[in-house]
Amino acid sequence: MGEIKKIRTACRNCHGGCGVIATVSDGKVIKVEGDPESPISYGTLCSKGLAVTQMAYHPDRILHPMKKVNGQWERISWDEALDTVATKFKEVIAAHGPEAIVIGQGTGRDYESHLYRFANMLGTPNVLTAGHMCYVSRVASTLITCGNLPICDYRGEPKLIVMWACNPQWTNPDEYKGVDFWKAYKKGAKLICIDPRKGFVAKRAHLWLQLRPGTDAALAMGFHRVIMEEELFDREFTAQYIHGWEAFRERVMKDYPLERVEEITWVDKDLIRQAARLYATTKPACIHWGVPTEQTNNCTDFTRTATGLMAATGNLDAPGGNVLYVNPPTRTVAEFARHKELSLEQRAKRLGGEQYKLGARVAFITPKVAWESILEGKPYQLKAGLLCGTNPVITRDGAREAYAALQALDFLVAIDFFLTPTAELADIFLPAGTWLEQNHVADNWKRHGFVVARQKCVEIGEAWQDHKIFMELGKRMGQQWWDTVEESLDYLLEPAGVTWEEFKKIGWLQGEMVYHKYKERGFSTPTRKVELWSTTLEKWGFDPLPKYVELPESPVSTPELLERYPYILNAGLRTPTFFHSANRQQPWLREIRPDPIVEIHPETARKHGIQDGDWVYIESPRGRVKERAKLYDGINPQVVVAEHGWWYPEIKDPGHGWDISNINILMDNAHRTMDPAMGATNIRNCLCSIARVED
Amino acid sequence: MGKVSLMFFKKDCMGCHACEVACKQEHALGVGPRLVRVIEKGCDFFPIYCHHCANAPCKEACPAGAIIRNPQGVVLIDSELCIGCQACVEACPFGAMQFEEEKGLAMKCDLCIDRLSQDERPACSLVCPTRCISFGDMHTFSERVAKRAMGEA
Repeated sequence: MGEIKKIRTACRNCHGGCGVIATVSDGKVIKVEGDPESPISYGTLCSKGLAVTQMAYHPDRILHPMKKVNGQWERISWDEALDTVATKFKEVIAAHGPEAIVIGQGTGRDYESHLYRFANMLGTPNVLTAGHMCYVSRVASTLITCGNLPICDYRGEPKLIVMWACNPQWTNPDEYKGVDFWKAYKKGAKLICIDPRKGFVAKRAHLWLQLRPGTDAALAMGFHRVIMEEELFDREFTAQYIHGWEAFRERVMKDYPLERVEEITWVDKDLIRQAARLYATTKPACIHWGVPTEQTNNCTDFTRTATGLMAATGNLDAPGGNVLYVNPPTRTVAEFARHKELSLEQRAKRLGGEQYKLGARVAFITPKVAWESILEGKPYQLKAGLLCGTNPVITRDGAREAYAALQALDFLVAIDFFLTPTAELADIFLPAGTWLEQNHVADNWKRHGFVVARQKCVEIGEAWQDHKIFMELGKRMGQQWWDTVEESLDYLLEPAGVTWEEFKKIGWLQGEMVYHKYKERGFSTPTRKVELWSTTLEKWGFDPLPKYVELPESPVSTPELLERYPYILNAGLRTPTFFHSANRQQPWLREIRPDPIVEIHPETARKHGIQDGDWVYIESPRGRVKERAKLYDGINPQVVVAEHGWWYPEIKDPGHGWDISNINILMDNAHRTMDPAMGATNIRNCLCSIARVED
Repeated sequence: MGKVSLMFFKKDCMGCHACEVACKQEHALGVGPRLVRVIEKGCDFFPIYCHHCANAPCKEACPAGAIIRNPQGVVLIDSELCIGCQACVEACPFGAMQFEEEKGLAMKCDLCIDRLSQDERPACSLVCPTRCISFGDMHTFSERVAKRAMGEA
């Protein structure tokens, strides 16, 4: 055995950031462990991160560029691959303009700075991300409400935590790694859990509110109602720092009596009262909320209403409440990406931009408009695409439409580790490096006050880190980039006064936290106040006050469907071993969860003759897929809970079983089902039927 | 340190399975034997692991004398002596004993004995996000339990 090195780096198996010590022997990573020195993960590491060697050295991984010739993949050189892409992109730009190229990524993977820079300098406003219904939508909604995303301040020792549709220890926790939550809880913080499903957090909670899936915005209104009725709000804050408090109060008092909230949410009104009281009277208290609240037609308004709760109770930017963290002074994603340089003329061409104005404000498009452009040519036709680390065939609403559109696109480039069902539709495949194979300033986009060093441990095959791919392709398109990735990181770190080489050694930087910043300079909104009455939405012609709108397909809005589809499908259950559509190849992880699971209440299962472990068809008006039944009495008998993200890498044909268990086939991707300002897709809820799969 | 073992505060196990993968990685195991594992039942999680029992039933049951308990208290299998009869699998009251089909041999938690020799804790105990896995001797455990009772750990 040759030299053994231990390299300190940062994971990126989810959005990442957890500290890792990688052991490298003979140019190969043989082990990864949690880094006890990490300021955000404290030595812990999840199953996904621990299984990275099985991803990096997987026999199915593609380690060289490829092109498709007569339906078959052929190995090519990087030069040929990049030249082919650049030539094609130039042709498209010359004939149709840069807006005819769509650039896409999936969940946040620390290369948005580079991807957006490439897109902006290309001149295309059409960047297709998961942002419309995941996290960026949260950022966009809070930007217009209080200027930034208010994060649970676990370090400030909250006395009460409202865990709202989130399970940060099981799944990607965005800013937090779950450990900080756990520490605060163990120190004695009370816990309110809001979840349709009894999970670990619900079991530990002092109060568990089992709501009807997708009605979070109505429940938040119920909280406000109690706080107003009982005058539990912070008089000084609401009077001085909230724009539209009286108007909002009028709406809540008129439209949201607790009886109505109970009727909508299925949560007992006395329990809502008890929870709201506990939240409003325990100081400090924070709300930690998760992605299901955003994946509905009420995406924007839930976040605005929840932000209103933080503000009304005086918990906004207060220690132990929800705070606007101060990040280290690195260059932001927006600055690095040169968002401002995309011309107004090109911005005006953003697909769906006129309709989904809030989404457009944060520079993404909702997938529907991309599929419509490709399939129907309206308002103009996308001709080419580049998708990096994304598998929309599996992860986007209305999967069949996504598949058809990507199949129909003239020219598609995929950047990935594996030939996923989406990558199989491409013309050019570019092999990306895993997080073991890259240098980057990780977590630069997060709002938790840290950036961490992700250090290259090895190079594998001909794979390049995503950042380098954008740089080299960008240069071929005549764009201004640096010679090396590390030089671009020097630029990113420059305002913090360190170079990449220095940063690598330091390991992480922390911003200097200041609370109650609004007392000095107000909030970063047009009125300098928390805008419960949004002047931005008002200007754009939307309802300036938040509200709850019934889900597009539910026992309330479409009762006529109930006879055929009697159950509410709560889709998108996350599990700790997988991240969206990733990780199904890794034996260690797949051994733990071999099959997609649909949770069914035992009473409901009995009615259909379904036993634990049976394969079950789940059907909606749009299609049918199958998952394996797990009987579980921790859900409402009228609710069925299904995992998302499933395809079968072990099926070797190019579809890789994309339509067998893909729950998004059941979802409706119609404009009328989306959030009107954001373009968030209603990807978590619809009506369904279930039936045992007969052998 | 006296005789060492693992202790799981089972109530805090939230079913993330990180311990399982850390163990697989440490022992370079493929699919099959799971020296530590978590069984899920609804929102309840049950870690299954070797307790390194003083009067280890696996050791008692082994007709080949392949299972020993070393001076540190670690119960180990000598794979040279194991005859693959699985009497130990049946005898273990926790279901912690594993059987590797390919080799036809019993297999169990060795408390990461290579790590112990370098003064490092077992791999599973390091990654747990709720810190429900403790490693140490009886003194360590009673200290930790007392601290927990006082709300400090």
